[in-house]
Amino acid sequence: MRKKIGLTCIIDDDTMYVNLVKKIVEAKSLCKNLMVFQNGKEALTYFEAILTNLDKKTIPDIIFLDLNMPVMDGWEFLENFTKIKNKLEKKIILYIVSSSINPVDIERAKSINTVKDYLVKPVTLKELESIFLKEAL
Amino acid sequence: MLQNELFNTVIQDFNTGYWELHKDPEREIWSEKFCNSLGYTIEEIETTIDYFLKYLIDQEDVDVFRDNFFNYRRNAVDFKQYIKIKSKKGNYKLFRCATNDELPVNMKLESHLIFFFEIKIEPEYATTKDNFYYKETAQMTATGSWHVDFIEKKSFWDFETRRILEYPDDYIPSLKDSALYYAEESQEKAADLFFNCAMVGTPFNTEIKMITANKRIFWVKAIGKPVYNENKEIIGVRGVFQDIDEIKKKELGLQKSIDIIASQNSRLFNFAHIVSHNLRSHTSNLSLLVQLIEDIEDPKDKIEFIEQIKQISNSLNITIEHLNEIAAIHTNKAQEKKVIKFQDALNVVTNGIGQTISISKTKINIDFSQLDKINYIPAYLESILLNLITNAIKYKHIDRDPIIDINTYIKNDKKYLKISDNGRGIDLKLFKNKIFGMYKTFHRNKDAVGIGLFLTKNQIESLNGRITVKSEVDKGTTFIIEF
Repeated sequence: MRKKIGLTCIIDDDTMYVNLVKKIVEAKSLCKNLMVFQNGKEALTYFEAILTNLDKKTIPDIIFLDLNMPVMDGWEFLENFTKIKNKLEKKIILYIVSSSINPVDIERAKSINTVKDYLVKPVTLKELESIFLKEAL
Repeated sequence: MLQNELFNTVIQDFNTGYWELHKDPEREIWSEKFCNSLGYTIEEIETTIDYFLKYLIDQEDVDVFRDNFFNYRRNAVDFKQYIKIKSKKGNYKLFRCATNDELPVNMKLESHLIFFFEIKIEPEYATTKDNFYYKETAQMTATGSWHVDFIEKKSFWDFETRRILEYPDDYIPSLKDSALYYAEESQEKAADLFFNCAMVGTPFNTEIKMITANKRIFWVKAIGKPVYNENKEIIGVRGVFQDIDEIKKKELGLQKSIDIIASQNSRLFNFAHIVSHNLRSHTSNLSLLVQLIEDIEDPKDKIEFIEQIKQISNSLNITIEHLNEIAAIHTNKAQEKKVIKFQDALNVVTNGIGQTISISKTKINIDFSQLDKINYIPAYLESILLNLITNAIKYKHIDRDPIIDINTYIKNDKKYLKISDNGRGIDLKLFKNKIFGMYKTFHRNKDAVGIGLFLTKNQIESLNGRITVKSEVDKGTTFIIEF
């Protein structure tokens, strides 16, 4: 059996999109577990909480982050997350998944170390599959 | 200094005499050709401006030439003038004087030159013709000339100046009355330009609002330059007024159209951005869903996914409705500004949401006494009031009924509308930059936060205004709109 991503984290306020990704992950059994946050603030609260009680199982292997969200957007989350990610003592791969095709956004995202790549919505099934396979290696 | 080839070619082509003006000390170098054209050799004549003005130039031309000469030397104002110069034989020859701007454009010279082109026609014939052309030109171009003489302490206007300023032919202008000739907002500018010219000799060329004897305000192109005496002192100011009212009004109208087009264009751009963003989130989902349907074998799952297409279709419809609303505001024909009373706009709003106001027991205090009306797009003003009032009600404090204070005022010549509530307030530390932002959640947001204030801000800024917010959690929120 091939290796699989353990825990995947989606930070996105578009429930329809999140449900679809969930379906794909289930149908293709791309990863073992999935956690979803509606915005950056919710996700950040979670990461700050587990800092006090580090358990590798509760730390995601891969994060799919949206940019445009209420309360705390993707940029602000990134800024805060970059400050604490080293304390998490686990390699976390972060992809930005956004419907923004603004070149300014794309350049800005790619210039941030924490960001592995920038995916423009709509993501394709193949794209999702290949990312999960690639990152599982 | 003049060794450059191009210059020599041009001078040869011109086949004319010239002066080269130098500084430190101020002197003129006369070309040999110039002296020869008067029948002199360069050695037998005194080549200075003083000698020229005193003995060579026809005394009829001396005043104008002196002004032109010193303006050219000191302020680099190019000129053209016909003058008569006495030759060695004692008769007068007619010359056309011209300066550096006569040269081909690609020639850049450090020094100032005056060329003297000899004209071989009867001088008298030329003058009569000139006088005729002068009157004709003045009338056809609506250009009048004027002259203020500091020694005689008198002002002179020609027939055309009197005509464009609508004064009778026997009207005697005076420097003391000059404030009367300019529109109120132009008086300071006119005085500054005139005194600068009179004191330090700075010539002017400007567009300014003047006022006729019949109190009609109109646009004029005003040009002026100092008049010098033999001792190179300024003894007056001379210039022209040209009636450019029609052109200027067209120009201003054009500028206004450009401003309107620019602001509409920026709104369209903004709108295109909103459209693309909000539609993309649905189409992305749709495309992902279709891929999923194609990829999955189980017919039961397929049916479930097809159900979801309905959901996406619904959200898409709602989004398009919202976009239609925005588009309607932007393309509304009633979008023209007009003077509207704040009270009237508020009445429209409170009638529309009367039920919401009464159910929530909202009390609205108004004070429009300092500023009761404004020139604005009525639909915008109503939308601004509607958004801010419904927000105040929606985010009222749990422990108290909403009280909304609305007042208008003028500060530093600017008009303001202030709307304060006693609601739950907004944590500005958290939302500072986002309160007026548009969240993509607006199309399915239960609270509809985002679109209302986003629209409000857009409407205000599209009319070059500003909106600011002050808020304290549990105390209330104040929005201030600067029109």
